[in-house]
Amino acid sequence: MKENILIIGGGIAGLEAASQLLKLGYNPIIVERSGRLGGHVADWNRLFPDMTPAEEVVSRLVAGASEANIFLNTEISFINRLKDSYNVMLSNGVSIITKIMLFATGFSLFDASKKEEYGYGVYNQVMTNSDLERWFNTGHDCRITEEGPSAMGFVHCVGSRDEKARNSQCSKVCCITAVKQAIEMKQKFPDAMIYCFYMDLRMFGKKFEDFYISAQRDYGIRFIRGRVSEVSENIEGKLVVKAEDTLSGRPVKVTLDLLVLMSGIVCDHQTCRTAGMLSLPLDSDGFLKSRDNIADITASPKEGIFYAGACTGPKTVPETLAEARSAALEIHNHIISLSEELNSNSEGQ
Amino acid sequence: MRERFLTGYNDFVLPFMIGMIFILSYCAIGLIRILKQLPKDDRRRFFISLVTPKTIVKNIRDIFCDCLLHVKIWKRNKLLGYMHSSIAFGWFMLIVIGHIEVFLYVPHRAKLFYYPIFFRYFVAETETTMKGAFFFFLMDFFLLLVLSGIFLAMFKRIRSRMFGMRRTTNPSFLDLIGLYSLWAIFPLRLLAEGFTADISGGSFLTKSLNHILNSFLSDHTNMLPAWWAYSCALGIFFVVLPFTRYMHIPTEILLIPLRNAGIKIRNARKGFAKAQVYSCPSCGLCIDACPMGVMKTHIKDTTVYLNRQLRRNNERRIEEISDKCLLCGKCTAICPVGVEGDKLRIAQRSMRKYAVNPDYSGIDTALLPVSPGLADPSVAADDKVLYFAGCMTALTPSISKAMESILVKAGVGYEFMDKEGGLCCGRPMMMAGRLDQARQMVEKNTEIIRRSGAKTLLLSCPICYRIFKEEYRLEGIEVVHHTVYIRRLIASGRLKVGKTGLSYVFHDPCELGRGCGIYDEPREVLLAAGNLVEASKNRKESICCGGSLGSITLGFDKRKSMTENALSNLTVASPDVIVTACPLCRSTFTRYADRPVEDIAETIDRNV
Repeated sequence: MKENILIIGGGIAGLEAASQLLKLGYNPIIVERSGRLGGHVADWNRLFPDMTPAEEVVSRLVAGASEANIFLNTEISFINRLKDSYNVMLSNGVSIITKIMLFATGFSLFDASKKEEYGYGVYNQVMTNSDLERWFNTGHDCRITEEGPSAMGFVHCVGSRDEKARNSQCSKVCCITAVKQAIEMKQKFPDAMIYCFYMDLRMFGKKFEDFYISAQRDYGIRFIRGRVSEVSENIEGKLVVKAEDTLSGRPVKVTLDLLVLMSGIVCDHQTCRTAGMLSLPLDSDGFLKSRDNIADITASPKEGIFYAGACTGPKTVPETLAEARSAALEIHNHIISLSEELNSNSEGQ
Repeated sequence: MRERFLTGYNDFVLPFMIGMIFILSYCAIGLIRILKQLPKDDRRRFFISLVTPKTIVKNIRDIFCDCLLHVKIWKRNKLLGYMHSSIAFGWFMLIVIGHIEVFLYVPHRAKLFYYPIFFRYFVAETETTMKGAFFFFLMDFFLLLVLSGIFLAMFKRIRSRMFGMRRTTNPSFLDLIGLYSLWAIFPLRLLAEGFTADISGGSFLTKSLNHILNSFLSDHTNMLPAWWAYSCALGIFFVVLPFTRYMHIPTEILLIPLRNAGIKIRNARKGFAKAQVYSCPSCGLCIDACPMGVMKTHIKDTTVYLNRQLRRNNERRIEEISDKCLLCGKCTAICPVGVEGDKLRIAQRSMRKYAVNPDYSGIDTALLPVSPGLADPSVAADDKVLYFAGCMTALTPSISKAMESILVKAGVGYEFMDKEGGLCCGRPMMMAGRLDQARQMVEKNTEIIRRSGAKTLLLSCPICYRIFKEEYRLEGIEVVHHTVYIRRLIASGRLKVGKTGLSYVFHDPCELGRGCGIYDEPREVLLAAGNLVEASKNRKESICCGGSLGSITLGFDKRKSMTENALSNLTVASPDVIVTACPLCRSTFTRYADRPVEDIAETIDRNV
């Protein structure tokens, strides 16, 4: 009999895990709350560091998981614990009995309007990283004019590493995303002056450092080490950004046409609710807590429930995909041990 | 009445006399020291107030209401009020009537200190007693009153909740000795007077006791030990009194005239501050009031413990306690004796030595020009308004945007003081105890304001508002908070506000409510825009949002639970929107609130 495996979330982690599980001969069921697959990556235009189109990555993953049962626009209503399995009731009325669940629920972007001093939702020329990617995709955004900004800025760590915003963790991908987006903007508008306001630049991944160097050397993007203190509007309606350049120890004030806030990765509210139904613990950073943060990152403390991707913390695309494969393998091993247990029990009788 | 003893003396009065002489001389020396520590002009002002009829009346009324009747505690909790006033007022009346008796019956003994206290031992009943029956009755009545208070005090030790106190202070060892000796005084007095009731006469209490316990009390050989015990209890109480919390009894009598003379804390440890510290009765009302109290670990950082450590000169703890506080001023607002916990702490902070002392007196205010407002200059009124947003509003730009929009809609001619950057109002420096730096900023801002020629200074931040009102010398310029100004615009019909079906709750910011006494205007403004519901603790008792600039050492994890507590207090009546009038409260609440949090300017701007 094909084992049912419920995958919560149809982002890249859920799709990759589903395609691996299909190959292993199981019956994965994907429950996705939005109307389309691919999650946050599907909203993105191109991915660092090779400028791979995001659409390509997503469509490959969707193709791989096409054999799976997929429920779009569906949420989990409630979960009942049975003797050795779970009865999951979906919002579309379908009920699923499964022994295995995989949380591939991902993350939420920090709501930038909560950092009101940066003026998101208050001033017209302030947008977020995801708004900018949408513009890359669609070309429509009233905040970006035809001729482009003559000066613009990126604010790193908006809602990350910020105790006041209730998120002390690093979102990991925004540094490199900002560098990528800055380069893309410079490619579109070569005359624009582009500033990045950062605390640290965490260029940990493959080719990230080269990317950063190229941004400075080849594109002339200005990196200013220091947090933005406040954003205001002058009489002409331009943004006035005040920050401190901590390298020179001086306050700086620049006038910009566009400001992009690098909203950080925060734990998804809905995920916490679903985790609550199963009494799964949350870690101190607000994300789901793994059985072990080093050796067992894809396993939850509960038997039969597994994690993949950004539901346990901020991750890059390759890390998420690797984790999804690893979770699929974990699930496979778990099912084998379950059936062995069953066999030895029946032999014993 | 006739005297039983020719000498009018017995050895048992000695413990009382020793205690009495000790405490009187201690208080006299303390009084002289505190008065000497006052700055010269304060001392002058104090002496003048003592002979000004208006302050004399106020002093007498305050001493009577606060020290004897404990009116403030009555307002808080009836049972707690009864307990305090029965002991204080009852004891006071016992002393007064005791003296009257001596003056009436044995006037030649009036010069003896102890005679009114032990009156019943020294006299015997004669046929003239009928005249005394009235006083005997009063004496027994007030003794009963005190005894009922003592009984309640004992009960309060076990169940303070009955008295509206969730938590109470942990008494020190000497406090306990003082407490037990105080408790012992009145039952012992009853016993001693019970022995002599058949000789000196008595009333319903002492006489009845003598009748009921006749076999024991009629044996006059036991009489002296009872009077000795009574005298000893008094003596012990008086001797330990200066080292216990009961020192508040004499000190408060000094504190009230000092306060009424308009004296303020000028030195962290001397003069008026010392009078406040010793006036603290250690009642612990501030423990429940303190917003840090949501965390058990911070109970010992409340004002009552600050006063205790100040008396002990424990510098390490004084520093810790003064630094952690958010200066919301709630302990000051509810303190029955008027200890100013926030001001005491600022005074302690002002003693700190800093390695770097920035000097702002060199700032060129010509570089900080006032920006023109958005209003059409043709409608500008003669009396120009100068709007100062302040740093906190700069971090919450939607408030200043809404405020400007309101001014435009009402057709007010205004100028924006710090749109292109400005100076801090000085209040954060003031709170940190860096008074010189604060004063420099005050001077610089005064220059800018004077130069602008404005007649009204409008502020949307209560932190700024408070210092502009208290510390700036801006004669001829009206300093007004935006809640008050908006109410005025609505009342004069310049601003037409439409009513929505939403229900609002107003959070009283510490600096606006307790700091400046503005409670009604924001509520009237909100009533114009929708329904108003109240938080469970509001106005003077409002709970600090936890975001205050008062402390820089209290961590975010600690503040979080304070904010959540304040939010749950605000949302008891399930309002749709939480409205406040402080940019700092607003951004703090926004972080944790489950419903919209707005500044009053935003609410009104939307509904105009």
